Amino acid sequence: MENPQDAIAHAPLPTAKTLRFRRNIPVQIWRFVAINIKMLNMIRKGHNQK
Amino acid sequence: MARVLILGAGIAGHTAALHAKRLLGKKNEIIVVAPNSNYNWIPSNIWVGVGKMYKEQVIFPLAPIYKRKKIEFHQGLAKSIYPEGDSKTASPFVEIAYTDPNRSNEFARIKYDYLVNATGPKLNFAATQGLGPEGHTVSVCTAGHAVEAAASLKDAISLMKLGKNQTLAIGVGHGTCTCEGAAFEYTFNVDHELRMAGVRDMADLVYITNEYELGDFGVGGMVFTQRGFQTTSKLWTESLFRERGVRAILGAHVEKVETGKIFYEQVDGNKNVLEFDFAMLLPPFRGVDLAAFNKSGEDISSQIFAPSGFMKVDADYSGKPYEDWKAEDWPSTYRNPTYPNMFAVGIAFAPPHQISKPRKSPNGTVIAPSPPRTGMPSGIMGKLSILTIADLINKGSDAKAHSASMAKMGAACVASSGSGLTKGSAAAMTMFPIVPDFQKYPNTGRSLKDTYGEIGLSGHWIKLLLHYLFIYKAKARPGWAFIPE
Ligand SMILES: Cc1cc2nc3c(=O)[nH]c(=O)nc-3n(C[C@H](O)[C@H](O)[C@H](O)COP(=O)(O)OP(=O)(O)OC[C@H]3O[C@@H](n4cnc5c(N)ncnc54)[C@H](O)[C@@H]3O)c2cc1C
Repeated sequence: MENPQDAIAHAPLPTAKTLRFRRNIPVQIWRFVAINIKMLNMIRKGHNQK
Repeated sequence: MARVLILGAGIAGHTAALHAKRLLGKKNEIIVVAPNSNYNWIPSNIWVGVGKMYKEQVIFPLAPIYKRKKIEFHQGLAKSIYPEGDSKTASPFVEIAYTDPNRSNEFARIKYDYLVNATGPKLNFAATQGLGPEGHTVSVCTAGHAVEAAASLKDAISLMKLGKNQTLAIGVGHGTCTCEGAAFEYTFNVDHELRMAGVRDMADLVYITNEYELGDFGVGGMVFTQRGFQTTSKLWTESLFRERGVRAILGAHVEKVETGKIFYEQVDGNKNVLEFDFAMLLPPFRGVDLAAFNKSGEDISSQIFAPSGFMKVDADYSGKPYEDWKAEDWPSTYRNPTYPNMFAVGIAFAPPHQISKPRKSPNGTVIAPSPPRTGMPSGIMGKLSILTIADLINKGSDAKAHSASMAKMGAACVASSGSGLTKGSAAAMTMFPIVPDFQKYPNTGRSLKDTYGEIGLSGHWIKLLLHYLFIYKAKARPGWAFIPE
């Protein structure tokens, strides 16, 4: 079994820019709309099974 | 006139009840039996568990809703099912024991034409010695548990403010647990609260899980496409653990908990002890205590329920090796094969096998995350059972059953990692399908287009939106039926 602490220590660390993006209100409003559309698409597929 | 009896008023049962009334209510009887007087929007218990929401914000009384919708409600526990009736009656019925304080010590037999078992899980704290609110750990599985968890967390934060370092262990309390997503979510909400309180540097935050890798979530992990690369939920989750400074113990079966000590064994057979000051460990789930009897009063529970206590439905329970299972082994109509007028939906149905690869330690301990049955599929199954019942009633017994297999259904999982309208954050994930289909999607088992993960404030807004939307829907306010499950 791999030591998870090693794997965590080598995982990609988000840059300051990525962290700012994750909190930037205009960017996040756009992501909010985009993720909701993705989720609605998936819900539609789940509800319409043949 | 037919009678539809629904056992349970959680996401699956309550959704079924409202749709049953909408589709069948004029000419048929809809009855709900559930032991609690309140509905609980369980996903938001996480926020109650960190003191960010009051209990009252995640629960509401069921009786007024059912009264308004003219659904008969019995506050009680279903004890036994008689799918053939008994020596006195040929009508199937369920025996219930009232939990309604006005009817304590009363029992009743409720006849049915169609039965929807949506009794969810039994929180099986007893599987691990010392686990749970009556032992040495807290839980967020019920709103009441979450209130206790918040109080316990507050105490730990107060101690840190006084300069005492604390170890906070969060995760799952048995090798066969499910719902790792909820434990993950609670971990990052606690991390957020510790930062807000200015004591993060005083805390050793440890995520202890039965998952073999981070990002497994009981679904064998996911592969996402991000910025032109395929990446895994493992790497993505590890990145979040690194960013937030959370330690992880993987592939762990918690054997027992004593005051301040978690004893666990890992897949490699190593046994260790984690000392803690605060621990929130989710319990393993099993089916609720329901028995079934045939007409002559013989116990047929083993025919109706799987050894896990969950009800058998149209799945392949032949017990083939993990490597051999296929997407079509998963149920699609949720009808019991012996008694097709009986359905089991949400967590109450018995999954045919694990989605994550089950493992055993050299000592023979099973460490195998159980498949999650989250809110969206539970709601869809609840509605589906009613669509089928409506057709059986309106079109006759030959009507084709509606189908919704978890191998053809996606799930949206928004794991909050901190609350606040501008400071919040969440990991929003979608996967399609939930149960990988390697025939259809040979490389990763899932559609790369529809399997997706993103961290950000927008995820928190989505989680908050879902909270208000689904409570609105569950209250059957105007237009509720337009809100998808
Ligand atoms: C802390 C936590 C966080 C979660 N977060 C998310 C999330 O963010 N997103 C998501 O999709 N899912 C989430 N889940 C999973 C989600 O809560 C479940 O998928 C969902 O509750 C399952 O619905 P259910 O109706 O099958 O079971 P439940 O909601 O548990 O409902 C079961 C019902 O049956 C009743 N009952 C029990 N025994 C009997 C009996 N003998 N007779 C009659 N009635 C009985 C219960 O009182 C209850 O009303 C979370 C789970 C937990 C524990």
